[in-house]
Amino acid sequence: MTDTLTIVSLLPGLQDTNGDAANARVLAQRARWAGFDAVVLDVAPGDALPASADIIVIGSGSDAALPAARAALLPMADRLRELVTAGVPLLAVGTGWELLGVGIDLADGSVVEGIGLVAGRAVPAPARIADDLAVKSKYGRLIGFENHSRHYVGAEGSPLGRVLAGTGNGNGQEGLVMGDVFGTHLHGPVLARNPGLADHLLRLALARRGSDYVPGARSDAVDETARAARNQVAVRLKLPAE
Amino acid sequence: MPAILIGRIVRRLARWRKPGGGSAVPGLVVNRIAPGFLAHTLNGFPGGLVIVSGSSGKSTTTKMLVAALRASGKQVFTNESTANISQGLTSALLERVSLAGRIHGDIAVLEMDEGHGALISARLTPSVVTLTNVMVDQIDRFHDSEMVAAMLAKIANRATDAVVINADDDYLNGVAAGLAGHARVERFGVSADVLAGSPRGLGYSRTAPARLTPGDGVVLTRVDGREATVSLDGAAHEVALPARGVHYAVDAVAALATARAVLGEEFDVSVAADAVSRIPPVFGRGEIVTVRGRTVEFVLVQNPASFQLNLDSLDAHTEQLLVALGSDVRDPSYFWPVDTSRLGRVLIASGSKAHDIALQLAYDDVDVERVEPDLGRALDDFLALPDPATGLKTIVFSADSMRRTRAHLGLTSNIEEPA
Ligand SMILES: [Zn+2]
Repeated sequence: MTDTLTIVSLLPGLQDTNGDAANARVLAQRARWAGFDAVVLDVAPGDALPASADIIVIGSGSDAALPAARAALLPMADRLRELVTAGVPLLAVGTGWELLGVGIDLADGSVVEGIGLVAGRAVPAPARIADDLAVKSKYGRLIGFENHSRHYVGAEGSPLGRVLAGTGNGNGQEGLVMGDVFGTHLHGPVLARNPGLADHLLRLALARRGSDYVPGARSDAVDETARAARNQVAVRLKLPAE
Repeated sequence: MPAILIGRIVRRLARWRKPGGGSAVPGLVVNRIAPGFLAHTLNGFPGGLVIVSGSSGKSTTTKMLVAALRASGKQVFTNESTANISQGLTSALLERVSLAGRIHGDIAVLEMDEGHGALISARLTPSVVTLTNVMVDQIDRFHDSEMVAAMLAKIANRATDAVVINADDDYLNGVAAGLAGHARVERFGVSADVLAGSPRGLGYSRTAPARLTPGDGVVLTRVDGREATVSLDGAAHEVALPARGVHYAVDAVAALATARAVLGEEFDVSVAADAVSRIPPVFGRGEIVTVRGRTVEFVLVQNPASFQLNLDSLDAHTEQLLVALGSDVRDPSYFWPVDTSRLGRVLIASGSKAHDIALQLAYDDVDVERVEPDLGRALDDFLALPDPATGLKTIVFSADSMRRTRAHLGLTSNIEEPA
């Protein structure tokens, strides 16, 4: 086993409408700040998944890209299932998460089938949801932005957290956790703004290699900036600053 | 009372209530009482109506085109104040129109955003439509590229004479291929060398696989700082740009291609290229100002593509940088696809989204010396620093931070260009 942590970024060309592909960059930087080597490996349509992967991330794309993204994910489905079953943590955002589920019901009545890696499906919401989202979770209070036109059903048994402000899955809960697969509507660099979740993924990944993850010194200053950014939104949402 | 007269009176009243305010209210009133006014007047220019649309670059392209047409002896009506909503346009027209409903002028040149253009163009009969590119930007982020292309196709299909497209943009090639009318298609683009010199591409949602051959259109063959070379009808012409950056050079070839389509036989490339070269530095984008005894360069970023292009074209030796993002950037994650690592060091991150941009810079290994959300204080301290040994003091800002910067420094916020 090499010493270099491999962060796999799935389909960044298709699934980066909101800057979610940056989550791979955030994980790699935090790993480096903690003294580990790390690389981000972009996987494009038609590429094979690498032989070894430490963390996998996939972002959100446009609805127009759903069929193309699904077609690209389908040949990877078995290998992805092997990896996550072996405990490789995976973070999926927005339509990237929806595509890992059972299916996506579109507003026009048509269906895009998911690859069935996780439970649940996306169903049309009455109107597009584009606003701040705050979630109480085991990894701290997560704050970010959501921008989606569908709710998520079938994740009631294992959500990522409880919605404090915003819409999330549409039932007071947000996201999904199945094993070490995490799905969320929190888009953009959710891991930069919420380093608690980033460090949880890194801890899982490094534990598989028999290493302990201790955040590097540079993380402290950067996380202070992240806290200020979160608090700014929290205050706007009339939530207590932390 | 004729609608025009009512509009004039309302306009006078609106100005009287708010000095300097050329508001949209008079236009709103006239649009209510004479809904056909706008289209009727715009369609009535003897030399035709020209519409410039697309995701990005339309404002600079419009300015360059207007300069080229005026230098060629045409009287041009244009919406320079970027009043590209129909009320604003109507108000702008009211300033010029006679009570008989006629405007003194040969040609109208309008900049239109794609969404609005698609809505009102159904009543317009432009002679020429120019499309700059398809990018998914802040305003249209909830649309996708297909939707933007469909809106641009709607506008292009109104053209009676010519549709001028950016041949490097594959969505626009699709629009050109699908035109239903008899308008001819003219093209502009960049050479393979110019594209190769932009390692991240030009920011289009989909770049065409092949480059235009010089015989097939107006081609940008070289960009070096604020100088560009344009190949047109087999000859090379030099053009000076209003600011550094390949995107300004692309705007210049778009303007020249459009001027040629509009003027036909009357087009004189040296006159047009000379006029394009003399347009003043673009408002807030690479604009160099002197304030409090300091020379400062202003760089406006409006979407991820322009952010990336502007960062890539910054002087590599810029040692004093202030980056400010304001409340116009509703969701700062939008800018995360931009690679800011080239900046190396930023003295101050500011604006109401100071923490967010500082966070992004930090993950790109850019040293941020200070995070100061109070833009006024940031500007005061930034300007108070001694002049840098190399490069200019440079402020990179979003539109909202630009307005606040200009207000804080007492810089005029609008430049009235003589007609
Ligand atoms: Zn001051």
